[in-house]
Amino acid sequence: MAPLPNSKDQTLFRSVLSFYENKQYKKGLKTAEQILRRNPKHGETLAMKGLIINCLGRTDEAFTIVKDALKLDMKSHVCWHVYGLLWRSVKNFGEAIKAYKFALKLEPDSANILRDLALLQAQMRDWNGYVESRRLMLGQKPNLRMNWTGLAVALHMSGNYEEAEGILTKYEESLKVQPPKDDLEHAEALLYKNMIIAESGQTERALEHLLSIEGRMLDVSSTLEYKASYLLKLGRNEEACEVYRTLLGRNGDNRAYYKGLEEAKGIKEDDVAARKKLYEGLAEVHPFADAPRRVPLDFLSGDEYREAAEKYIIRLIKKGAPSAFLSIKAVYKDTSKQAITLKVVEDFLAETRANPPADDASEADKTRHTENIVWALYFIALHYDYYRTRNLDLAFKTIDEAIELDPTLPELYMSKAKMYKHAGDLKKAAETMNTARELEKSDRYLNTKCSKYTLRADDNEGGLKLMSLFTRNEAAGGTLGDLLEMQCIWYLTEDGEAYMRKNMLGLALKRFSQVHKIFEDWHEDQFDFHSFSLRKGQIRSYVAMLRWEDQLRHHVFFRRAAIDACKVYTLLADQPHLGHASLSMGQLAEDFEKLSTAEKKKAMKKAKREQQKEEEKRKEEAAKRKDEANGKADDKVVDTDPKGEELVHTTTPLEDALKFLNPLVEFNPEFVEVQAIAFEVQIRRKKYALALKALVAGHKLAPNDGRVHEQLIRFRKIVDSLPSEPTDAEPLSDVLIAEFNALLPKDTNVVEYNQQYLEKEATNFINLRYGLQAKFFLNPEKKDEAAAELVKAVDLEECDIKEAVEGLKVLREWKASDEVLNKYKEAGRGRWPQATAFQA
Amino acid sequence: MEIRSVSYHLLGGIQETNLSNLPENYFLKYYLYHEACWPELSFVAVDTETGAVVGYVLAKLDEASEKEEQRIGHITSLSVNRSHRRMGVAHRLMAQSEKAMQEVYRAGAISLHVRVSNKAALHLYEESLKFTHDRTEVKYYADGEDAFCMKKVLPIPMD
Repeated sequence: MAPLPNSKDQTLFRSVLSFYENKQYKKGLKTAEQILRRNPKHGETLAMKGLIINCLGRTDEAFTIVKDALKLDMKSHVCWHVYGLLWRSVKNFGEAIKAYKFALKLEPDSANILRDLALLQAQMRDWNGYVESRRLMLGQKPNLRMNWTGLAVALHMSGNYEEAEGILTKYEESLKVQPPKDDLEHAEALLYKNMIIAESGQTERALEHLLSIEGRMLDVSSTLEYKASYLLKLGRNEEACEVYRTLLGRNGDNRAYYKGLEEAKGIKEDDVAARKKLYEGLAEVHPFADAPRRVPLDFLSGDEYREAAEKYIIRLIKKGAPSAFLSIKAVYKDTSKQAITLKVVEDFLAETRANPPADDASEADKTRHTENIVWALYFIALHYDYYRTRNLDLAFKTIDEAIELDPTLPELYMSKAKMYKHAGDLKKAAETMNTARELEKSDRYLNTKCSKYTLRADDNEGGLKLMSLFTRNEAAGGTLGDLLEMQCIWYLTEDGEAYMRKNMLGLALKRFSQVHKIFEDWHEDQFDFHSFSLRKGQIRSYVAMLRWEDQLRHHVFFRRAAIDACKVYTLLADQPHLGHASLSMGQLAEDFEKLSTAEKKKAMKKAKREQQKEEEKRKEEAAKRKDEANGKADDKVVDTDPKGEELVHTTTPLEDALKFLNPLVEFNPEFVEVQAIAFEVQIRRKKYALALKALVAGHKLAPNDGRVHEQLIRFRKIVDSLPSEPTDAEPLSDVLIAEFNALLPKDTNVVEYNQQYLEKEATNFINLRYGLQAKFFLNPEKKDEAAAELVKAVDLEECDIKEAVEGLKVLREWKASDEVLNKYKEAGRGRWPQATAFQA
Repeated sequence: MEIRSVSYHLLGGIQETNLSNLPENYFLKYYLYHEACWPELSFVAVDTETGAVVGYVLAKLDEASEKEEQRIGHITSLSVNRSHRRMGVAHRLMAQSEKAMQEVYRAGAISLHVRVSNKAALHLYEESLKFTHDRTEVKYYADGEDAFCMKKVLPIPMD
């Protein structure tokens, strides 16, 4: 380290540090430049200048400056620390860790550098490195409890249960006086130790330890839950029963406690009599709880079911609880319960109607009477709308009866909107949802539903306008800006999917990328808690957070947007013209399809020229916006590609897809649709080994799935046609080929194999459709035959409207004739007369 | 429907429920903050079949009171989907949170804000949960609406 020669500059340097720490960047920059004028070769001042410039948003410049600073003073821990901070700010944690380690070598006693390093190691899950850093931190300040717990967490996470427990015990033993009983940090540390013992597999000892600390635990619920689970594991069932009963007394609405109690009592799932008795007793003890009344409906049948269902449903109907049907529909898996349930409500309806209030009855009684009828009709309408018992004519008729009695109840229109959706008329569905919304404009729930239905009808602008009624529209970026900031994932996904249906793939990719970004932010969010939680002393919750973050992208929100994005990228790979708005939207796409190859080429060239021009214009505008923003105090990063044009004009769509695909597959391997999309991306990348891996995984999950079947056949053809001499494609190893041969032997007659599948799956619309896709793939000249079979399949009972609409898409992909398309639509109209997709 | 203590993997669903029902929204980190600081206080109502969140109470300890003699619990946000009304969900959620405030933090009172125009919520807090109107905070909400500050004294738990 080269100190500044004069003491005035030394003072100034210290003030640069404090300006930086207090975020007074302009002042800090000025002061640093003042020093540099006299000492242009002072590396540490230059490094600080770079750090401050980075905080002002000029990252590239900052890196250049700091690298210069390092050249001037390689032996300065300040320069290395700053270099690490720059990498940290661009989220390159690997490089940041390296820089911090250099800094630490030069200045082993610096608590600041050590802390920054440790935080990054925790963030990167470098648990072994973290253990070492935590040991050093404990050595520096052994008087702080958080340093002991910090080391224990590091050891726990690295799998060293024994030493983690030991460290916590050592701290406990060092306490000269027992902490007061309301010391939450102490209680939490004890319970954390208990959790470690249990996770190390020593249940007996965990129970023993828990009993020794039980008296001073403040988190009573967790303590009891731990105790119950230990007792159950150890087979001490009677004691476990007692604890579960205590837990139920505290929360009679937690299903896990009921399950625990059943298990502790050793009641078998099929022992209906014993279960019935148990729940009848529980219903008496917990008069307000839902579970003891609802759970028996799952296992009772016949008259016993009827009796219990009547009590349960009629009580909810009389309360006017809209969720009555929602709460019960799961029992419809058992078809015998469908008719009984309907009969229960129909009987109630008939009886109510037969006993109208007297003319001189109170207004309240009269209203209640009407309400009972309305909610009973509502239940019956939902019954007929539910897919297992669907009869849309009866559903519409029943809900209209209810609406006539009470035209002011939003629920009735909401359910009617859903019926239109099931009938395939998405526009009417959205309009009807809007009627519901207008009945109670201050209710955001209705507004949310209405916006969602509007998006489903492909009206992106209308959906956003509705959202704007409840967002802070003065926020940067207006309504959409607020929705982004508030991380409204459902909206972004639905909006993107609507754009996808309209072939506006740029905006679709934009939305899915925004969801992707939100998940990155959620991952980044944990950073502050690595230190904060240790200070707070909520260690178990912190550990739970780490574990959740590690599985973050297992979230259904991520899965859906990522699958969508991969689909868009495969579309772009197959049909590059879809990347150009001028060739892809609506009618335009169809026109393009009709062009000759030469004309297509010409059109693409023209579109590319236009695109280049637009891109230049956009860049100019973005630069202008950025300049304007720089002038302002809060220089937020400006979105230079609000419409996703850069995204959609990619020349490497399949490589771009990996940003979504890799985490999708890593965290969601148990979903067959995930493996299916992985196959589609990898096969197009000619990464045959990866494609096969997805195919094998998909086959294991759902051997009979239509998608898997179709992909098997396609893959067989590819493997068979692979040239024997090496290509630029990744070679398939013998092991892999053998694995594939086990699924579909090499000498299989695939045409016959497919024919057998078609016969076997003759009543399953989805599988049949994939089989027909395979048929078309194997023999494109048999298109008409395949198409005719698909038309016939629309009449299958198992065909639902969503799948039928997909079928129409498939025919279009085959470039089926207008005649065939019309026949298909006619068949669709026959089943769903209101469906927009099937109108002539 | 069932009521459970919040866990991290439900926070996304809670955020979505909040965005669907109320105009006061937060980014996920604020939910993380609640769960990291006071994991015992927040509860969620989920649909047993689908696992979807249908209601939640997000609660904390009033930071200013943390070192005081009397600690005060605070309800940051409470909402139940319209589809699950009239099942007593909000009441059940609140009861769980109140009990945890007493047990874990020895809180002596609980406070919350409510829009002066929100008749349904006012009814719930005043009639069924026995909160009293403490004072009015002028222009508390971003859109300029006033808030009622509601308060309820909690009995001291017996050990």
